[in-house]
Amino acid sequence: MTVQVLYFGRLKELSGTSEEIVEVWDGALIEDLFARCSTARPELSKFRTSLVAARNREFAAWNTPLSAGDEVGFLPPVSGG
Amino acid sequence: MRAARSEDRIEITRAVIPNAEIAAQVRTDGDGAVATFDGCVRNHSHGRATLYLEYEAYEAMALAKMQEIAAYIHANYAIRKIAIVHRLGRLEIGETSVFIAVSAAHRAAAFDACRYAIDTLKKTVPIWKKEFFADGAVWVDGELPPVPAETPAAKPASN
Repeated sequence: MTVQVLYFGRLKELSGTSEEIVEVWDGALIEDLFARCSTARPELSKFRTSLVAARNREFAAWNTPLSAGDEVGFLPPVSGG
Repeated sequence: MRAARSEDRIEITRAVIPNAEIAAQVRTDGDGAVATFDGCVRNHSHGRATLYLEYEAYEAMALAKMQEIAAYIHANYAIRKIAIVHRLGRLEIGETSVFIAVSAAHRAAAFDACRYAIDTLKKTVPIWKKEFFADGAVWVDGELPPVPAETPAAKPASN
């Protein structure tokens, strides 16, 4: 199945893209998706513990299962205001 | 997901924020107080002189989170109207990056709701700022929002 991955802030700069479509297996978790993205973009891997994930615009635990067509954001610590 | 009321002004913009206009818009004749917060760009950070800031956002989710803040305030504070307006893009020293206005019959609720709004925005809304100095730029180290507890791993289907 495919999901959409969004990058912001520092991650967007490092990966050189704001979004990409990624293929994952049925039943994959958000952390599986991140591992796949980090394989393709190794510079992301060291951020695993300093990010929060969002699935369909809600913060989500790393072991949340994905569904086809999900919109997943890998978000750095927020600094609005 | 709860939303703000229709008379609230919950907005993300790239234009200069019209602070006075927003404060005037939340007030009605039944209000004895309008509390406001003006988040403005400071000229220093950690001992370095700041030249300017740039803000970016996960816009759809940021707007949703701002709406949730407004909904929570309506449910928990005796206030009338709320405005939360955040600006994105390049901001110069002294400019307003976020403006919040809350109207209420009495000042205690207005102050408390306004404080809640900015404190919660800074912890939960997916917006990021980058600070530009004479000799470089850094993404501001922010806060990791709270996340639902890890869900128990799903058992594999058995056939």
